[in-house]
Amino acid sequence: MKKNILILTLILFTGFVAKAQVKKGDVLIKNGTVLTITKGTLDNTDVLIKDGKISRIGKNLKAPNGVQEVDATGKFIMPGIIDAHSHIALSSVNEGTSQVTAEVNMGDVIDPFDVSIYRALAGGVTSTHALHGSANVIGGESETLKLRYGTSNPEELKFEDAPRTIKFALGENPTRGGRSRGIQPSSRMGVEAMLRNSFNDAIAYRSTWAAYKADKNPRKVAPEYDLRMETLVDILDGKVLVHCHSYRADEIYMLLKVFTDFGIKKLTFQHANEAYKVASELAEFGASASVFADWWAYKLEVYWSTAYNATILTRNGVLTSINSDSGELIRHLFHEAAKTQKYGDLSDDEALSLITLNPAKQLGIDNRVGSIEVGKDADIAIFEGHPLSVYAIPVMTFVDGVKYFDRANDIADQRIYVNPEESVENITIFNRLDEDRCMEEGVVSFEALFSNKK
Amino acid sequence: MKLLLTKTIRAVFLMLLTVSTIGLNAQSDPSGESAVTRTFAITNATVIQAPGKELKGATVVIKNGLIQAVGTNVTVPKNAQVIDGKDMFVYAAFIDGLSNTGAKRPENMPRPNNLFSPDPPNDYAGITPEHSLLDQLDIESNTIASLRKEGFGVSHSVPFGRMLPGSGSIILLGDKKHADELVLSKDISMFTQFAGAPGAYPGNVLGIMAKWRNLYRNAENNKKHYDSYAQNPSGIERPERDRVTEAFFPVVTKQQSVMFDVSSVLEVQRAIRLQKDLGFKLMVGNVKQAWDLGQMFKDNGTGVFLSLDLPDAPKEAKGKDLDEMTEETKRLEARKVDFYKKYVGQAASLATSGVKFGFSSLDVTSTKVKANLLTMIENGLSETDALAALTTNAAGILGIDKITGTVETGKIANIMVSNAPYFTKDSQIKFMFVDGDKYDFEIKEKSAAGNGNRAGSAAAGNDPIVGTWSYNFETPQGASTGKMTFAKDGGTYTGSMTSNDGAPDANMQEIVFANGTLSFIFMIDAGGQSVELVVSGTVTGNQYDAEVTVSAFNFSTPMSATKDGQ
Repeated sequence: MKKNILILTLILFTGFVAKAQVKKGDVLIKNGTVLTITKGTLDNTDVLIKDGKISRIGKNLKAPNGVQEVDATGKFIMPGIIDAHSHIALSSVNEGTSQVTAEVNMGDVIDPFDVSIYRALAGGVTSTHALHGSANVIGGESETLKLRYGTSNPEELKFEDAPRTIKFALGENPTRGGRSRGIQPSSRMGVEAMLRNSFNDAIAYRSTWAAYKADKNPRKVAPEYDLRMETLVDILDGKVLVHCHSYRADEIYMLLKVFTDFGIKKLTFQHANEAYKVASELAEFGASASVFADWWAYKLEVYWSTAYNATILTRNGVLTSINSDSGELIRHLFHEAAKTQKYGDLSDDEALSLITLNPAKQLGIDNRVGSIEVGKDADIAIFEGHPLSVYAIPVMTFVDGVKYFDRANDIADQRIYVNPEESVENITIFNRLDEDRCMEEGVVSFEALFSNKK
Repeated sequence: MKLLLTKTIRAVFLMLLTVSTIGLNAQSDPSGESAVTRTFAITNATVIQAPGKELKGATVVIKNGLIQAVGTNVTVPKNAQVIDGKDMFVYAAFIDGLSNTGAKRPENMPRPNNLFSPDPPNDYAGITPEHSLLDQLDIESNTIASLRKEGFGVSHSVPFGRMLPGSGSIILLGDKKHADELVLSKDISMFTQFAGAPGAYPGNVLGIMAKWRNLYRNAENNKKHYDSYAQNPSGIERPERDRVTEAFFPVVTKQQSVMFDVSSVLEVQRAIRLQKDLGFKLMVGNVKQAWDLGQMFKDNGTGVFLSLDLPDAPKEAKGKDLDEMTEETKRLEARKVDFYKKYVGQAASLATSGVKFGFSSLDVTSTKVKANLLTMIENGLSETDALAALTTNAAGILGIDKITGTVETGKIANIMVSNAPYFTKDSQIKFMFVDGDKYDFEIKEKSAAGNGNRAGSAAAGNDPIVGTWSYNFETPQGASTGKMTFAKDGGTYTGSMTSNDGAPDANMQEIVFANGTLSFIFMIDAGGQSVELVVSGTVTGNQYDAEVTVSAFNFSTPMSATKDGQ
């Protein structure tokens, strides 16, 4: 029996190790301008990475035996960009058949093959918050990812021990979903009612189970188990951070009231285009906001938007980040952050915090990432040109000290799995040969001038 | 009292008499179809008893549905039908790890009026684990004979459905009079797949994973409740009967495995994630992309059945096509070839990692089974590992290794006899024994070259395909049925298809019939776009088993047709 326990322990232990087995790198990044975010900007500075962690920051560091050096002379070293709102690397986004689906989990549908992951790395991004969609009032639990591209194992993309988060949604999206299926909610009032009803159900569920657990009768009968209620109870108990899709100030304020009534504290508003109107209320509650730099007017409820939103929120003491919600925009979040200098004059550190430390705080991972500090994970991006400049070019991206993007070695076909039955066609945007011939003759005709073969 | 006893005895006697009369009637065999004897001896054959274990010049005796003796020094019983096994090779009949063999697809449940999409009725949601393959098993199904024809003796067959269609059973691929007689091992697995309900919960993999956890956790609690009520009901709330939760009980107690249909590498890992969360016994089937998962299978002790379906080999560009290719296109084409190699090398790489897998026929056109096996062997799978996958490994995973999987005394007489070593290009199956019953197959002569459109010298009068056939195939919109008519004019076939759903008739083109294989193409109009459907399959008597492929949509579906009575 003892032997069995030993074997069992061994199995459990190996299982644990297998789970945590992601690649960790050692590297010395030499002589760059280090944008630490929390401790200022350090010129001509080296960053030593050991076993995936930042182990030293200083001048004239020596690379230990066998550790590769990267020359960053004239380049900028910043913490890897974190996108607090993303749907890349997911096989499914919405379980849209029901308006409360707290039981579903984006950790079940990670797609490590999504080429968008590589494109994000090529924009200096090292982590995304893989959110459920906004079709449901209460969507599913989300998953914080590290963009360890190149594996077929979805588990390897998970940000180990990141806090649990969940997606909520207010306004036009969930009501449109409700109306299309003939179910609640069909109005903003219905959204609030569903939220309150769900939490009241969860309170009842919690007390039923508490009574069951307190019951000393050996023949007691367990109440019905409900994964949806389990998650809602964990939200009430403060174990899950809520990220809520929202636009209008009135609905943002509504959710603050609902959460105050139910004693839920950990809340980030996603998009929050009208958050600037209730900035002081958000600050008082302690809620944070993750916004677009300047997207607006794509539907009625985002009409009253401003590119000054991030600045107004920051100046009012609201923890703010800038997100992409897009596989394209994610590639240049540094430009998005820079817009807050045009619209609002944020300092370099404030602007960079919007895409590094602040989203890290909103996801509860700021003890691990978001700034360049000794002891933190070596999730790092190297830029040619200052990242807030329009001329910035990301050149290398590291996750856990492992290089996942290198502009100097950027292979064109980044697909991990390829369908052997897919047809490949020659794609020609324009025919250079024809154009050359046209020039050969030395005549530029009117037709050639306006031809789409240019 | 005494009188009553006498009456009872008389009644029992009469009953017994009736029963034996029925038995006599059956034996009198008015149709003349019964076998003369069920005792057979295959003499002087090469017997591959198990992978890597070969006997030359051996005799196999089959009696009462069992293998009675195997060896080089075996007495042939007097009443045995003797089969001269000279130049023949005797194998254990193959075992299919996952398919719908013998199952008849039920009608799709119509969308209920006033459906509440967050909580649909279980039948509509596809949550029917209490169903069994036996509810759908049809002795008339042509899938039984077509899989047997490829060397299979048993199949782990599962019902059609959505998320939880019901339990799978192991069925004998024989001709039987009643569906129950097909069953070798009943309800051995709970079958499940990532198939959401149309417009209702669970709608996709997100909801299915959550629903699975919820059903399982509740079943664990309910099992305790049921048990303690059964032990002593006094003072305990009566458990409400719930057929879904009850169907989970054998899974919760690990008496029954869960069989997941997971073709892609991500689906396989999702099934394993669920198993790690909940702790049930897991088998995965129809697996097509698991070349990276060897270690994971070994760590988890997962029972694995690889798909016998393989992708088509990428076409090599030649001449003008090659000249016109850009460098980028060439690189992309080369990657297709790399990945084709991974698909066809999947079995070899898992065998190298020490995974003991079987095979699943779920997605393969039965006529491609052998060709695909040979492709896997060309790409590194050893013949011994291939045979083990088809026999002993599959039997082990399914828990029927004491019953079948080898040619050994005491096993059921599930045997395949071929005219050459099976894993050679020209070998053909000569006999199949399933449950001790013999099925003969005609050995086809190698075809002469240039058959082309010509139908050979067969007179049109008794041409095997000329006439009218009733066909049936599944489309995403439901079953498509109708008639197809073949005529022959000067050695060239012509034909047309008529659909029962009112679609216009279509003329078949490029009709080729050679070596029992019939193929043709026809065009249909799909919303203004003309789409080409390619049909190819085998003709066995008045039965046609084929696959319809729509390459434009990368879609294929099985088709069957029966020749109308002459």
